[in-house]
Amino acid sequence: MAGLLGVLIVAGVALMAVLAPWITPYDAFAQDLTMRMIPPAFMEGGRPDHLFGTDQLGRDYLSRLIYGARISMLIGVATVITSGLIGITLGMLGGFIGGRVDMVVMFIITCRLSIPLILVALAVVSLVGSSLTVVVMTLGLLLWERFAVVTRTTVMQVRTLDYVAAAWAAGCSRTHILLREVLPNIVHHLVVVATLEMAIAILLEAALSFLGLGVPPPLPSWGLMISEAKDYMFFSPWVIMVPGISLFVLVLGINFMGDALRDRLGASREA
Amino acid sequence: MSAPIEIRGVTKHFRQSTGVFSPPRLVRAVDGVSLSMKAGGCFGIVGESGCGKSTLARLILGLHPVTDGDIAVDGKSLATMNRRERARLIQPVFQDPFSSLNPRRSIRDIVGLPLAAQGASGGEIDRKVAAMLERVGLRPDMAPRQPAQLSGGQRQRVAIARALVLGPRIVVCDEPTSALDVSVQAQIINLLNELRRDLGLTLVFISHNLAVVEHICDEVAVMYLGRVVEHAATDALFRAPAHPYTRALLASVLTPEPGLGIPDVGLGDHYPDPANVPPGCRFHPRCPIAAARCAVETPAPRMIGERRVECLLA
Repeated sequence: MAGLLGVLIVAGVALMAVLAPWITPYDAFAQDLTMRMIPPAFMEGGRPDHLFGTDQLGRDYLSRLIYGARISMLIGVATVITSGLIGITLGMLGGFIGGRVDMVVMFIITCRLSIPLILVALAVVSLVGSSLTVVVMTLGLLLWERFAVVTRTTVMQVRTLDYVAAAWAAGCSRTHILLREVLPNIVHHLVVVATLEMAIAILLEAALSFLGLGVPPPLPSWGLMISEAKDYMFFSPWVIMVPGISLFVLVLGINFMGDALRDRLGASREA
Repeated sequence: MSAPIEIRGVTKHFRQSTGVFSPPRLVRAVDGVSLSMKAGGCFGIVGESGCGKSTLARLILGLHPVTDGDIAVDGKSLATMNRRERARLIQPVFQDPFSSLNPRRSIRDIVGLPLAAQGASGGEIDRKVAAMLERVGLRPDMAPRQPAQLSGGQRQRVAIARALVLGPRIVVCDEPTSALDVSVQAQIINLLNELRRDLGLTLVFISHNLAVVEHICDEVAVMYLGRVVEHAATDALFRAPAHPYTRALLASVLTPEPGLGIPDVGLGDHYPDPANVPPGCRFHPRCPIAAARCAVETPAPRMIGERRVECLLA
């Protein structure tokens, strides 16, 4: 039930992100200083033509929210792909080959775990300058350790099983055994990690944007919207609540979806 | 008859890490085993848990490299073969059919895996898999199913089909029935025996079920702490065991009469530790007939008639 809800939320946000240019009622970047800080339509003083009101520069808040979904989903997906490639490769090498290779992999993971994530992200962004690519690359290069740890441990469990021994005895190559015998049997663990990482990446981007080091304005990221709204939150609380609640609902949906995927992929096929 | 498997002085030692500050333990899983197995026969290897029989099976399958010694099939050393050549010659049947079949692949893919590894085409795999499933007593229309949809006995038949699909000369069975229901064990044993006769296979049969070994095997080797302590024809071994350990092992078989309880085999409470092999005869701490010299002298294998025994007193 929660799984279905999660899938609906994530699919809805993804659809919003893809269709953004066609479904926004206004230009998300167009300022109208005569229309600043209009409350949402369902609040007192709201206007029906601006469903979620407008921000401090008179931009339509619903349109910015829809464009913001684009940034959030893009960052979530791109970070998971980058960090997944790094983490799964390292974890498979360490778990499957073992010995010295595993020692090196464990050392890299330990090094990564001792790096303060937000600080490095801040340092990189302030050195290189902030852009969407920089944020995605930074998060992708930093968030792989969970993938690596989970892959390494599960590969170690699976590689000792008899069906892997049978594949060796059948004359299969090492690549075949890794990709066809081992990987399909750990993928349900990795899906859960992927959804978790996606949620973390979206939240981290929001945190970086809030600190002014995420995607640069006027791009409408949800974190940046919260950041820009923080000066007005006492008199106009909706400017912080609308993107805040959206962020919360999306992350919740991703986590629900992850749990459901794990149950479906993991339990049902194993007797 | 020529010997298809010739095992000469094979040794396998594992290094077991015991922590950062202590030296690694050297586990002598297999310690200088020499055997020769006849073509078309069934060769039994028995012994208690931890005696190295499963390690020996894995060495014959080429899953581990040997530390020392050599295994040759038809005079050709395993170490010089590539993985495809070895796969065409030797195939395994494992103990637990629940862990020996990949749960994410269909029966067709599992049985066809050795063919795919040899580079066979999809159509050829389909045909051979269907024929092989029928041969082991499964319906060919089971091919698209997943292992989870099969019973334990059916799964073990799938494992046997996978082992035979390349037409190997040798099948190494590592306790192929001990994970199965009693009612299914006999079917699997009879199937293996029938396939051996029809296809001219050489079976290497590893088990601690002595009744099964007596039923199916022509020759038996008894292993203790990584060495073969007695090797003889099945009849001779079961009729008149020469080594005290073999005698204890045969005496440990439960009798059908209730009330007798678990037999006392006189081996004491010592448990053999392959990382700490006793000096002299490695069986002497548990041996009911050990003499003083057993703790000092290492027995060399001796031929007594047709059998080979490693005991100073036998």
